[in-house]
Amino acid sequence: MPLKQSEAIVLRSYPMREADLLVTFFTRAEGKIRGIARSAKKSKKRFGGALEPLTFVRVYWEEREGKDFDLTRIDSCDVLESPLTDTVDYHRAVALGYVAEMLDQLLPDREANDAIFRLSHAVLQHMRAGAIWMAVTYFDLWIVRLTGLLPELHACIECGAPLDGNKAYYHALADGLMCAEHKRLASSEMTMESRLIAAEMFRSPVEAFAGTQWPRQRGVDLRKFLTQRIERQLEKKLVTATMLEKLD
Amino acid sequence: MTKFAEPMARLIDELKKLPGIGSKSAQRLAFHILRSSDEDADLLAGAIHEVKASLHLCSICNNITDVDPCVYCSNESRNQRLICVVEEPTNINSVEKTRSYNGVYHVLHGAISPLHGVGPEHLRISALTKRVENGDVDELILATNPTVEGEATAHYLTKLLKRTGVKVTRIATGIPAGSDIEYADEVTMSKAIEGRREL
Repeated sequence: MPLKQSEAIVLRSYPMREADLLVTFFTRAEGKIRGIARSAKKSKKRFGGALEPLTFVRVYWEEREGKDFDLTRIDSCDVLESPLTDTVDYHRAVALGYVAEMLDQLLPDREANDAIFRLSHAVLQHMRAGAIWMAVTYFDLWIVRLTGLLPELHACIECGAPLDGNKAYYHALADGLMCAEHKRLASSEMTMESRLIAAEMFRSPVEAFAGTQWPRQRGVDLRKFLTQRIERQLEKKLVTATMLEKLD
Repeated sequence: MTKFAEPMARLIDELKKLPGIGSKSAQRLAFHILRSSDEDADLLAGAIHEVKASLHLCSICNNITDVDPCVYCSNESRNQRLICVVEEPTNINSVEKTRSYNGVYHVLHGAISPLHGVGPEHLRISALTKRVENGDVDELILATNPTVEGEATAHYLTKLLKRTGVKVTRIATGIPAGSDIEYADEVTMSKAIEGRREL
């Protein structure tokens, strides 16, 4: 069977048998695929650092026939960009893990999605040590939109009243924003500033926000709202989202 | 499906839990044990039992040991003010093989791994902080793996311990000795160039 190839982002890897790794890739050409990288654990000659999470690679693989047909055989990987070329501090490690977990959980197998691929690639380039919050906010916002989970942000989901210029509220069990009159018990407010950030982020590429000061508190309510949307869809908590929340 | 006698099936099931052992290997090992002498079987069972009963973590460095403190921490000929920080007890053996390191160790028992929900609070860091704060340390060598997880751990420890004034160093990354540059991967090569030194 001929080798296939595609640009890809390594999402995660698990040890398999004595020396192999089971690796999940988000490929540009075929979406999320899983493959076995033979002897990758024991010998670094063939794959080197290419199988580290969030490495942008060109992956070559072969489809397998038989009982494990959904598992491919990973032939080789060329590193195009590695997260290890920049400093990896704890904050960046958690943010990288968050992107990997989100993609792994949200994307269906074998379904190409060029928009999400371009988003992930662009965002990863702006996830720097000590400066993760802008990239995380941008990723959250667009991934929710591109997976079709983003509700209307300008009107109350209960009564349809416009929210622009008015207070807006969100709740873990609600499917969108609510006005002051229809907010649920224990709802949180989403500030006007965060809604303006969202609007601006929908208009501009991530590069447009590079270099701007982005403390953790900026857009924190927006990120919480978006994470809740995803976790509601997945019907489970994301491990890395909890860790991200705890960062100072 | 082959049916084994109950004790045999139980042994196969237990062996299957070992890393890298599948059904077939477990069967082979079980039959090997069955065919071996009673004495050999007793020795194997005794060794497994003893390893669980007598081994524990060193109260100073967290290495796995049968005596406390461990052989490294209690050895007065070693430099007790030089600590090499490793992820796992098995990493100690790799450093010892060099025969050029004469300091002691600190085992973290893991690395920061957000994807697996492992944060700094899950690692054995507090004992290390205590050793440094007591002023017992001149230098810390961070020998965590050169992976995203290992780098994040090293960076975290540096930030945590540098403020105490202790010298913190990181092991070098680069081309393995005796290998060929032609076959070096991009990340390793770029790290090797970044960490070049003047001759």
